[in-house]
Amino acid sequence: MFDNIRWLTASSDKTLPCGEESEIVVSSRIRVARNIESIPFELKMKQPDAEYLIGLIHSIIDGKIRGDFHDLKDLKPLERESLLECHLVSPGFTKKEKPTSVFINEGGNVSLMVNEEDHLRFQGIGCGLNFSGLSSEVFRMDEFIGDNVDYAFSERYGFITSCPTNIGTGMRASIFMHLPGLVFTNEVEKVLKGAMQIGMTVRGIYGEGSEIRGSLFQISNQHTIGFKEEELLERITKLAKMIIDVENKARDVILTKARSEFEDKIFRSLAILKAARTIDSTEVLNLLSALRFGVGAGIVKDITLQTLNEIMVVSRPANIQLYFGELLEEHERDIKRAEYIRKRLGAG
Amino acid sequence: MLCDDCKNRPASIFFKEVLPDKTVELNLCEECASKRGLLGAKKLTPIEVMHKLLKQKGAQDEKVICPGCYMSLAEFKRVGRFGCAQCVATFDEHIRHFIKQIHQSDRHVGRKSQAGTKKGFEIYRLREDLKKALDSEAYEEAAKIRDKLKNYGIKDV
Repeated sequence: MFDNIRWLTASSDKTLPCGEESEIVVSSRIRVARNIESIPFELKMKQPDAEYLIGLIHSIIDGKIRGDFHDLKDLKPLERESLLECHLVSPGFTKKEKPTSVFINEGGNVSLMVNEEDHLRFQGIGCGLNFSGLSSEVFRMDEFIGDNVDYAFSERYGFITSCPTNIGTGMRASIFMHLPGLVFTNEVEKVLKGAMQIGMTVRGIYGEGSEIRGSLFQISNQHTIGFKEEELLERITKLAKMIIDVENKARDVILTKARSEFEDKIFRSLAILKAARTIDSTEVLNLLSALRFGVGAGIVKDITLQTLNEIMVVSRPANIQLYFGELLEEHERDIKRAEYIRKRLGAG
Repeated sequence: MLCDDCKNRPASIFFKEVLPDKTVELNLCEECASKRGLLGAKKLTPIEVMHKLLKQKGAQDEKVICPGCYMSLAEFKRVGRFGCAQCVATFDEHIRHFIKQIHQSDRHVGRKSQAGTKKGFEIYRLREDLKKALDSEAYEEAAKIRDKLKNYGIKDV
Protein backbone atom coordinates (compact mmCIF):
# COMPACT_ATOMS: atom_id res chain seq x y z
CA MET A 1 0.00 0.00 0.00
CA PHE A 2 2.83 2.42 0.62
CA ASP A 3 3.04 2.53 -3.07
CA ASN A 4 0.33 5.15 -2.61
CA ILE A 5 2.90 7.72 -1.58
CA ARG A 6 5.45 7.16 -4.33
CA TRP A 7 4.65 10.67 -5.59
CA LEU A 8 5.45 12.22 -2.24
CA THR A 9 8.69 10.47 -1.48
CA ALA A 10 9.83 10.50 -5.13
CA SER A 11 11.13 7.03 -4.37
CA SER A 12 10.40 5.42 -7.72
CA ASP A 13 12.14 6.08 -11.01
CA LYS A 14 8.70 5.99 -12.66
CA THR A 15 7.51 9.04 -10.80
CA LEU A 16 8.47 12.69 -11.19
CA PRO A 17 11.42 13.90 -9.13
CA CYS A 18 10.60 16.43 -6.44
CA GLY A 19 10.03 19.95 -7.80
CA GLU A 20 11.58 23.18 -6.55
CA GLU A 21 11.27 24.59 -3.04
CA SER A 22 10.13 21.29 -1.63
CA GLU A 23 10.65 22.37 1.96
CA ILE A 24 8.06 25.17 1.75
CA VAL A 25 5.91 23.74 -1.06
CA VAL A 26 5.05 20.29 0.24
CA SER A 27 3.12 19.37 -2.90
CA SER A 28 1.56 20.69 -6.10
CA ARG A 29 -1.62 19.28 -7.54
CA ILE A 30 -3.58 19.73 -10.76
CA ARG A 31 -7.02 18.36 -11.30
CA VAL A 32 -8.95 18.49 -14.54
CA ALA A 33 -12.69 17.81 -14.83
CA ARG A 34 -14.21 16.27 -17.97
CA ASN A 35 -17.60 14.87 -18.91
CA ILE A 36 -18.68 12.69 -21.80
CA GLU A 37 -21.09 14.34 -24.23
CA SER A 38 -23.62 11.53 -24.53
CA ILE A 39 -23.83 10.38 -20.90
CA PRO A 40 -26.04 12.19 -18.36
CA PHE A 41 -24.07 14.06 -15.69
CA GLU A 42 -23.90 12.94 -12.07
CA LEU A 43 -27.25 14.39 -11.07
CA LYS A 44 -29.22 12.67 -13.84
CA MET A 45 -27.09 9.59 -14.13
CA LYS A 46 -28.57 6.17 -13.42
CA GLN A 47 -26.69 3.15 -12.08
CA PRO A 48 -26.31 1.51 -15.55
CA ASP A 49 -24.86 4.78 -16.94
CA ALA A 50 -22.28 4.77 -14.16
CA GLU A 51 -21.39 1.13 -14.83
CA TYR A 52 -21.24 1.79 -18.56
CA LEU A 53 -18.85 4.69 -18.05
CA ILE A 54 -16.51 2.61 -15.90
CA GLY A 55 -16.52 -0.17 -18.50
CA LEU A 56 -15.88 2.35 -21.26
CA ILE A 57 -12.87 3.91 -19.53
CA HIS A 58 -11.47 0.47 -18.66
CA SER A 59 -11.73 -0.55 -22.30
CA ILE A 60 -10.09 2.66 -23.53
CA ILE A 61 -7.13 2.46 -21.17
CA ASP A 62 -6.88 -1.34 -21.43
CA GLY A 63 -3.16 -1.62 -20.75
CA LYS A 64 -2.29 1.21 -23.12
CA ILE A 65 -1.40 3.36 -20.13
CA ARG A 66 0.46 1.46 -17.45
CA GLY A 67 -1.22 1.45 -14.09
CA ASP A 68 -4.03 -0.12 -12.08
CA PHE A 69 -7.77 0.28 -11.75
CA HIS A 70 -9.41 0.00 -8.36
CA ASP A 71 -13.19 -0.28 -8.17
CA LEU A 72 -13.98 1.38 -4.88
CA LYS A 73 -16.63 -1.14 -3.92
CA ASP A 74 -13.96 -3.87 -3.99
CA LEU A 75 -11.71 -2.04 -1.55
CA LYS A 76 -11.83 -2.40 2.21
CA PRO A 77 -12.92 0.79 4.05
CA LEU A 78 -9.34 1.26 5.28
CA GLU A 79 -7.94 1.01 1.78
CA ARG A 80 -10.44 3.58 0.53
CA GLU A 81 -9.55 5.89 3.38
CA SER A 82 -5.87 5.42 2.64
CA LEU A 83 -6.30 6.55 -0.99
CA LEU A 84 -7.82 9.70 0.46
CA GLU A 85 -5.09 10.21 3.06
CA CYS A 86 -2.51 9.79 0.29
CA HIS A 87 -4.37 12.47 -1.74
CA LEU A 88 -5.01 10.15 -4.68
CA VAL A 89 -8.80 10.56 -4.52
CA SER A 90 -11.06 13.37 -3.29
CA PRO A 91 -13.07 13.22 -0.06
CA GLY A 92 -16.38 13.27 -1.96
CA PHE A 93 -15.28 10.40 -4.17
CA THR A 94 -15.02 7.88 -1.34
CA LYS A 95 -18.58 8.64 -0.25
CA LYS A 96 -20.39 8.19 -3.58
CA GLU A 97 -23.19 5.67 -3.66
CA LYS A 98 -22.85 5.06 -7.39
CA PRO A 99 -20.18 2.69 -8.74
CA THR A 100 -16.84 4.46 -8.80
CA SER A 101 -13.43 3.47 -10.04
CA VAL A 102 -10.01 5.04 -9.87
CA PHE A 103 -7.11 4.45 -12.23
CA ILE A 104 -3.64 5.15 -10.84
CA ASN A 105 -0.73 5.32 -13.26
CA GLU A 106 2.50 3.39 -12.95
CA GLY A 107 4.32 6.29 -11.32
CA GLY A 108 1.57 6.65 -8.71
CA ASN A 109 1.34 10.38 -9.40
CA VAL A 110 -1.55 10.65 -11.87
CA SER A 111 -4.97 9.31 -11.03
CA LEU A 112 -8.26 9.30 -12.89
CA MET A 113 -11.44 9.18 -10.83
CA VAL A 114 -14.43 7.85 -12.74
CA ASN A 115 -17.88 8.98 -11.52
CA GLU A 116 -16.76 11.75 -9.23
CA GLU A 117 -18.92 14.92 -9.37
CA ASP A 118 -17.83 14.96 -13.02
CA HIS A 119 -17.57 11.82 -15.12
CA LEU A 120 -13.80 12.08 -15.13
CA ARG A 121 -11.46 13.84 -12.77
CA PHE A 122 -7.81 13.61 -13.75
CA GLN A 123 -5.41 14.46 -11.02
CA GLY A 124 -1.66 14.87 -10.97
CA ILE A 125 0.25 15.32 -7.74
CA GLY A 126 3.91 15.71 -6.94
CA CYS A 127 6.21 16.98 -4.23
CA GLY A 128 7.61 20.50 -4.46
CA LEU A 129 6.61 23.17 -6.95
CA ASN A 130 6.32 21.41 -10.27
CA PHE A 131 3.38 22.38 -12.43
CA SER A 132 5.07 22.00 -15.77
CA GLY A 133 6.01 18.35 -15.23
CA LEU A 134 2.63 17.56 -13.73
CA SER A 135 0.51 19.31 -16.33
CA SER A 136 2.13 17.48 -19.22
CA GLU A 137 1.43 14.13 -17.54
CA VAL A 138 -2.17 15.04 -16.69
CA PHE A 139 -3.00 16.44 -20.12
CA ARG A 140 -1.37 13.48 -21.85
CA MET A 141 -3.85 11.19 -20.11
CA ASP A 142 -6.70 13.64 -20.75
CA GLU A 143 -5.87 13.76 -24.48
CA PHE A 144 -5.61 10.01 -24.69
CA ILE A 145 -9.15 9.62 -23.35
CA GLY A 146 -10.33 12.63 -25.40
CA ASP A 147 -9.14 10.91 -28.58
CA ASN A 148 -11.56 8.10 -27.89
CA VAL A 149 -14.70 9.84 -26.67
CA ASP A 150 -16.46 13.15 -27.26
CA TYR A 151 -16.10 15.39 -24.26
CA ALA A 152 -18.93 17.77 -23.33
CA PHE A 153 -17.52 20.96 -24.82
CA SER A 154 -18.89 24.32 -25.89
CA GLU A 155 -16.97 26.79 -28.05
CA ARG A 156 -18.01 29.62 -25.76
CA TYR A 157 -17.81 28.02 -22.34
CA GLY A 158 -15.17 25.36 -22.92
CA PHE A 159 -15.37 22.04 -21.10
CA ILE A 160 -18.78 21.67 -19.51
CA THR A 161 -18.70 20.53 -15.93
CA SER A 162 -21.38 19.45 -13.54
CA CYS A 163 -20.89 22.56 -11.39
CA PRO A 164 -20.65 26.00 -13.07
CA THR A 165 -17.74 26.91 -10.80
CA ASN A 166 -15.49 24.49 -12.74
CA ILE A 167 -16.56 25.33 -16.29
CA GLY A 168 -14.05 26.31 -18.97
CA THR A 169 -10.70 24.69 -18.45
CA GLY A 170 -12.14 22.43 -15.76
CA MET A 171 -8.76 22.87 -14.14
CA ARG A 172 -7.93 23.54 -10.55
CA ALA A 173 -4.29 23.85 -9.54
CA SER A 174 -3.28 23.88 -5.92
CA ILE A 175 -0.21 24.13 -3.80
CA PHE A 176 0.14 22.81 -0.32
CA MET A 177 2.49 25.14 1.59
CA HIS A 178 4.29 24.95 4.92
CA LEU A 179 4.45 28.47 6.37
CA PRO A 180 5.69 28.38 9.98
CA GLY A 181 7.64 31.64 9.59
CA LEU A 182 4.55 33.61 8.61
CA VAL A 183 2.43 31.88 11.23
CA PHE A 184 4.94 32.73 13.94
CA THR A 185 5.37 36.36 12.90
CA ASN A 186 1.58 36.73 12.67
CA GLU A 187 1.79 37.75 9.04
CA VAL A 188 0.14 34.74 7.53
CA GLU A 189 -3.37 36.16 7.56
CA LYS A 190 -2.29 39.27 5.71
CA VAL A 191 -0.44 37.31 3.05
CA LEU A 192 -3.29 34.90 2.55
CA LYS A 193 -5.88 37.69 2.40
CA GLY A 194 -3.79 39.18 -0.40
CA ALA A 195 -3.91 35.85 -2.24
CA MET A 196 -7.69 35.84 -1.97
CA GLN A 197 -7.87 39.33 -3.44
CA ILE A 198 -6.20 38.07 -6.60
CA GLY A 199 -8.63 35.21 -7.14
CA MET A 200 -7.11 32.40 -5.14
CA THR A 201 -8.77 30.26 -2.49
CA VAL A 202 -6.77 29.72 0.67
CA ARG A 203 -7.54 27.33 3.44
CA GLY A 204 -5.78 25.62 6.29
CA ILE A 205 -5.26 21.93 5.76
CA TYR A 206 -6.05 19.60 8.60
CA GLY A 207 -8.20 21.44 11.09
CA GLU A 208 -11.05 23.87 10.52
CA GLY A 209 -11.20 27.67 10.74
CA SER A 210 -8.59 29.28 12.89
CA GLU A 211 -7.23 26.01 14.19
CA ILE A 212 -4.57 25.51 11.55
CA ARG A 213 -2.50 22.44 12.25
CA GLY A 214 1.12 22.10 11.31
CA SER A 215 1.26 25.55 9.63
CA LEU A 216 0.00 23.92 6.44
CA PHE A 217 -2.06 25.84 3.89
CA GLN A 218 -3.58 25.08 0.54
CA ILE A 219 -3.83 27.71 -2.18
CA SER A 220 -5.79 27.13 -5.38
CA ASN A 221 -7.21 29.08 -8.31
CA GLN A 222 -10.86 30.14 -7.98
CA HIS A 223 -11.60 30.91 -11.60
CA THR A 224 -11.54 28.28 -14.30
CA ILE A 225 -12.66 30.25 -17.37
CA GLY A 226 -11.16 33.25 -19.17
CA PHE A 227 -7.57 32.09 -18.79
CA LYS A 228 -5.46 29.58 -20.63
CA GLU A 229 -4.35 26.61 -18.54
CA GLU A 230 -0.73 27.76 -18.73
CA GLU A 231 -1.71 31.25 -17.56
CA LEU A 232 -3.52 29.84 -14.54
CA LEU A 233 -0.49 27.72 -13.68
CA GLU A 234 1.84 30.66 -14.19
CA ARG A 235 -0.25 32.86 -11.89
CA ILE A 236 -0.27 30.35 -9.09
CA THR A 237 3.45 29.63 -9.52
CA LYS A 238 4.19 33.36 -9.34
CA LEU A 239 2.08 33.69 -6.21
CA ALA A 240 3.81 30.65 -4.67
CA LYS A 241 7.19 32.26 -5.32
CA MET A 242 6.07 35.52 -3.72
CA ILE A 243 4.84 33.65 -0.65
CA ILE A 244 8.09 31.62 -0.51
CA ASP A 245 9.98 34.89 -0.55
CA VAL A 246 8.07 36.41 2.39
CA GLU A 247 8.17 33.11 4.26
CA ASN A 248 11.96 33.00 3.90
CA LYS A 249 12.21 36.59 5.13
CA ALA A 250 10.06 35.76 8.15
CA ARG A 251 12.29 32.77 8.90
CA ASP A 252 15.40 34.94 8.66
CA VAL A 253 13.86 37.33 11.17
CA ILE A 254 13.03 34.49 13.54
CA LEU A 255 16.47 32.95 13.27
CA THR A 256 18.20 36.28 13.74
CA LYS A 257 16.14 37.38 16.70
CA ALA A 258 15.51 34.13 18.52
CA ARG A 259 17.80 31.46 17.15
CA SER A 260 18.39 29.64 20.42
CA GLU A 261 14.69 29.52 21.27
CA PHE A 262 13.91 28.12 17.85
CA GLU A 263 16.71 25.61 17.87
CA ASP A 264 15.40 24.52 21.24
CA LYS A 265 11.87 24.13 19.84
CA ILE A 266 13.15 22.16 16.84
CA PHE A 267 15.32 19.78 18.86
CA ARG A 268 12.64 19.29 21.50
CA SER A 269 10.22 18.35 18.73
CA LEU A 270 12.74 15.88 17.36
CA ALA A 271 13.30 14.46 20.83
CA ILE A 272 9.57 13.94 21.41
CA LEU A 273 9.12 12.24 18.04
CA LYS A 274 12.08 9.98 18.75
CA ALA A 275 10.97 9.09 22.26
CA ALA A 276 7.17 9.23 22.48
CA ARG A 277 5.34 6.02 23.37
CA THR A 278 1.92 7.31 22.33
CA ILE A 279 1.11 10.22 20.04
CA ASP A 280 -1.96 11.51 18.15
CA SER A 281 -1.90 12.76 14.57
CA THR A 282 -2.40 16.45 15.46
CA GLU A 283 0.64 16.43 17.69
CA VAL A 284 2.62 14.72 14.94
CA LEU A 285 1.69 17.46 12.45
CA ASN A 286 2.76 20.21 14.82
CA LEU A 287 6.06 18.54 15.74
CA LEU A 288 6.80 17.72 12.11
CA SER A 289 6.27 21.37 11.26
CA ALA A 290 9.03 22.44 13.66
CA LEU A 291 11.27 19.67 12.41
CA ARG A 292 10.63 20.56 8.77
CA PHE A 293 11.62 24.11 9.57
CA GLY A 294 14.81 22.78 11.18
CA VAL A 295 15.66 20.62 8.16
CA GLY A 296 14.95 23.52 5.80
CA ALA A 297 17.22 25.85 7.78
CA GLY A 298 20.00 23.26 7.87
CA ILE A 299 19.73 23.03 11.66
CA VAL A 300 18.78 19.35 11.58
CA LYS A 301 21.12 17.58 9.20
CA ASP A 302 20.58 13.85 9.31
CA ILE A 303 16.88 13.74 8.36
CA THR A 304 15.58 14.22 4.83
CA LEU A 305 12.42 15.96 3.70
CA GLN A 306 11.36 12.68 2.08
CA THR A 307 11.38 11.02 5.49
CA LEU A 308 9.27 13.83 6.95
CA ASN A 309 6.86 13.65 3.98
CA GLU A 310 6.52 9.95 4.51
CA ILE A 311 5.88 10.28 8.26
CA MET A 312 3.29 12.99 7.65
CA VAL A 313 1.19 10.73 5.42
CA VAL A 314 1.86 7.28 6.89
CA SER A 315 0.96 8.46 10.40
CA ARG A 316 -2.59 9.36 9.30
CA PRO A 317 -5.24 7.15 10.95
CA ALA A 318 -6.04 4.70 8.11
CA ASN A 319 -2.48 4.54 6.80
CA ILE A 320 -1.00 3.65 10.17
CA GLN A 321 -3.43 0.71 10.44
CA LEU A 322 -2.56 -0.48 6.94
CA TYR A 323 1.13 -0.09 7.73
CA PHE A 324 0.79 -2.50 10.64
CA GLY A 325 -1.79 -4.60 8.80
CA GLU A 326 -4.32 -4.57 11.63
CA LEU A 327 -7.46 -2.75 12.69
CA LEU A 328 -6.63 -0.52 15.64
CA GLU A 329 -8.67 1.45 18.16
CA GLU A 330 -7.74 5.10 18.56
CA HIS A 331 -5.48 4.64 21.60
CA GLU A 332 -3.80 1.62 19.97
CA ARG A 333 -3.19 3.72 16.87
CA ASP A 334 -1.46 6.36 18.98
CA ILE A 335 0.86 3.72 20.40
CA LYS A 336 1.61 2.18 16.99
CA ARG A 337 2.07 5.62 15.43
CA ALA A 338 4.71 6.46 18.04
CA GLU A 339 6.38 3.11 17.39
CA TYR A 340 6.44 3.69 13.62
CA ILE A 341 7.87 7.21 13.97
CA ARG A 342 10.61 6.08 16.38
CA LYS A 343 11.58 3.40 13.92
CA ARG A 344 11.51 5.78 10.96
CA LEU A 345 13.72 8.28 12.78
CA GLY A 346 16.13 5.54 13.70
CA ALA A 347 15.38 5.69 17.43
CA GLY A 348 14.26 2.06 17.76
CA MET B 1 9.02 51.52 2.47
CA LEU B 2 6.50 54.13 3.62
CA CYS B 3 2.83 54.19 2.72
CA ASP B 4 2.15 56.15 -0.51
CA ASP B 5 -0.90 57.83 1.05
CA CYS B 6 0.04 58.90 4.58
CA LYS B 7 3.83 58.82 3.99
CA ASN B 8 4.08 58.00 7.65
CA ARG B 9 3.42 54.38 8.47
CA PRO B 10 5.31 51.52 6.80
CA ALA B 11 3.61 50.08 3.73
CA SER B 12 2.50 46.52 4.22
CA ILE B 13 0.04 46.11 1.36
CA PHE B 14 1.13 46.11 -2.22
CA PHE B 15 -1.74 46.91 -4.55
CA LYS B 16 -1.61 46.53 -8.30
CA GLU B 17 -4.48 47.13 -10.69
CA VAL B 18 -4.13 46.52 -14.40
CA LEU B 19 -6.48 48.80 -16.33
CA PRO B 20 -6.84 48.79 -20.13
CA ASP B 21 -4.77 51.98 -20.53
CA LYS B 22 -2.49 51.95 -17.50
CA THR B 23 -1.31 50.06 -14.46
CA VAL B 24 -1.83 51.49 -10.99
CA GLU B 25 0.63 50.42 -8.33
CA LEU B 26 0.34 51.47 -4.71
CA ASN B 27 2.21 50.65 -1.54
CA LEU B 28 -0.10 51.24 1.40
CA CYS B 29 -0.33 50.73 5.12
CA GLU B 30 -3.28 48.74 6.37
CA GLU B 31 -5.16 51.81 7.57
CA CYS B 32 -4.88 53.73 4.29
CA ALA B 33 -5.70 50.60 2.25
CA SER B 34 -8.81 50.24 4.36
CA LYS B 35 -9.71 53.93 3.76
CA ARG B 36 -9.51 53.35 0.02
CA GLY B 37 -11.89 50.44 0.46
CA LEU B 38 -9.31 47.90 -0.67
CA LEU B 39 -9.69 45.78 2.40
CA GLY B 40 -13.41 46.38 2.64
CA ALA B 41 -15.97 43.68 2.34
CA LYS B 42 -14.72 40.15 2.12
CA LYS B 43 -14.51 39.07 -1.48
CA LEU B 44 -17.05 36.37 -2.19
CA THR B 45 -15.76 33.05 -3.50
CA PRO B 46 -17.18 31.71 -6.79
CA ILE B 47 -19.33 29.24 -4.88
CA GLU B 48 -20.76 32.01 -2.70
CA VAL B 49 -21.43 34.16 -5.78
CA MET B 50 -23.14 31.21 -7.44
CA HIS B 51 -25.43 30.53 -4.50
CA LYS B 52 -26.39 34.19 -4.33
CA LEU B 53 -27.23 34.27 -8.04
CA LEU B 54 -29.19 31.02 -7.93
CA LYS B 55 -31.68 32.68 -5.60
CA GLN B 56 -32.80 35.05 -8.37
CA LYS B 57 -35.93 33.39 -9.71
CA GLY B 58 -37.49 34.15 -13.11
CA ALA B 59 -41.09 33.75 -14.27
CA GLN B 60 -40.03 31.38 -17.06
CA ASP B 61 -37.83 29.12 -14.95
CA GLU B 62 -40.22 26.16 -14.96
CA LYS B 63 -40.77 26.43 -18.71
CA VAL B 64 -37.18 26.38 -19.91
CA ILE B 65 -36.41 22.66 -20.12
CA CYS B 66 -33.28 20.91 -21.36
CA PRO B 67 -34.15 18.39 -24.12
CA GLY B 68 -31.20 16.20 -23.11
CA CYS B 69 -32.05 15.45 -19.50
CA TYR B 70 -35.37 17.26 -18.89
CA MET B 71 -33.84 19.51 -16.29
CA SER B 72 -35.74 22.78 -15.98
CA LEU B 73 -34.03 26.08 -15.33
CA ALA B 74 -35.89 26.11 -11.99
CA GLU B 75 -34.34 22.79 -11.05
CA PHE B 76 -30.90 24.03 -12.11
CA LYS B 77 -31.36 27.01 -9.80
CA ARG B 78 -32.34 24.72 -6.94
CA VAL B 79 -29.38 22.37 -7.29
CA GLY B 80 -26.68 24.49 -8.95
CA ARG B 81 -25.60 21.62 -11.17
CA PHE B 82 -26.04 20.87 -14.87
CA GLY B 83 -27.77 17.61 -15.72
CA CYS B 84 -26.10 16.93 -19.06
CA ALA B 85 -23.95 18.42 -21.81
CA GLN B 86 -26.97 20.09 -23.44
CA CYS B 87 -28.04 22.09 -20.39
CA VAL B 88 -25.51 24.82 -21.06
CA ALA B 89 -26.80 25.52 -24.58
CA THR B 90 -30.41 25.33 -23.36
CA PHE B 91 -29.91 27.75 -20.48
CA ASP B 92 -27.34 29.86 -22.33
CA GLU B 93 -29.13 33.22 -22.33
CA HIS B 94 -30.13 32.80 -18.68
CA ILE B 95 -26.71 31.81 -17.39
CA ARG B 96 -24.32 33.95 -19.42
CA HIS B 97 -24.30 36.79 -16.87
CA PHE B 98 -24.22 34.20 -14.16
CA ILE B 99 -21.01 32.54 -15.42
CA LYS B 100 -19.54 35.99 -15.91
CA GLN B 101 -20.24 37.02 -12.33
CA ILE B 102 -18.84 33.80 -10.93
CA HIS B 103 -15.66 33.81 -12.99
CA GLN B 104 -15.34 37.41 -14.23
CA SER B 105 -15.33 35.93 -17.72
CA ASP B 106 -17.68 33.92 -19.89
CA ARG B 107 -15.24 33.13 -22.68
CA HIS B 108 -13.19 29.98 -22.74
CA VAL B 109 -9.72 30.59 -24.14
CA GLY B 110 -8.00 27.39 -23.03
CA ARG B 111 -7.54 23.97 -24.56
CA LYS B 112 -10.08 22.67 -27.04
CA SER B 113 -11.75 19.32 -27.09
CA GLN B 114 -9.60 16.99 -29.20
CA ALA B 115 -11.02 16.11 -32.58
CA GLY B 116 -9.97 12.47 -32.49
CA THR B 117 -11.50 9.46 -34.15
CA LYS B 118 -13.75 8.89 -31.13
CA LYS B 119 -13.76 5.16 -31.50
CA GLY B 120 -14.07 4.49 -27.78
CA PHE B 121 -17.83 4.05 -27.72
CA GLU B 122 -17.81 1.82 -30.79
CA ILE B 123 -15.06 -0.44 -29.44
CA TYR B 124 -16.80 -0.73 -26.13
CA ARG B 125 -20.11 -1.59 -27.81
CA LEU B 126 -18.43 -4.22 -29.99
CA ARG B 127 -16.79 -5.81 -26.98
CA GLU B 128 -20.13 -6.03 -25.18
CA ASP B 129 -21.69 -7.54 -28.34
CA LEU B 130 -18.82 -10.02 -28.54
CA LYS B 131 -19.40 -11.12 -24.97
CA LYS B 132 -23.11 -11.64 -25.67
CA ALA B 133 -22.39 -13.54 -28.89
CA LEU B 134 -19.94 -15.86 -27.11
CA ASP B 135 -22.35 -16.38 -24.22
CA SER B 136 -25.08 -17.44 -26.63
CA GLU B 137 -22.59 -19.53 -28.62
CA ALA B 138 -23.22 -17.49 -31.79
CA TYR B 139 -19.69 -18.09 -33.01
CA GLU B 140 -20.19 -16.86 -36.53
CA GLU B 141 -21.46 -13.55 -35.22
CA ALA B 142 -18.57 -13.46 -32.73
CA ALA B 143 -16.03 -13.95 -35.53
CA LYS B 144 -17.51 -10.99 -37.42
CA ILE B 145 -17.31 -8.77 -34.37
CA ARG B 146 -13.75 -9.89 -33.78
CA ASP B 147 -12.83 -8.87 -37.31
CA LYS B 148 -14.34 -5.44 -36.74
CA LEU B 149 -12.36 -5.04 -33.54
CA LYS B 150 -9.21 -6.10 -35.37
CA ASN B 151 -9.92 -3.39 -37.92
CA TYR B 152 -9.69 -0.93 -35.05
CA GLY B 153 -6.23 -2.26 -34.33
CA ILE B 154 -7.35 -4.20 -31.25
CA LYS B 155 -5.31 -7.40 -31.24
CA ASP B 156 -6.21 -8.80 -27.87
CA VAL B 157 -9.97 -9.18 -28.36
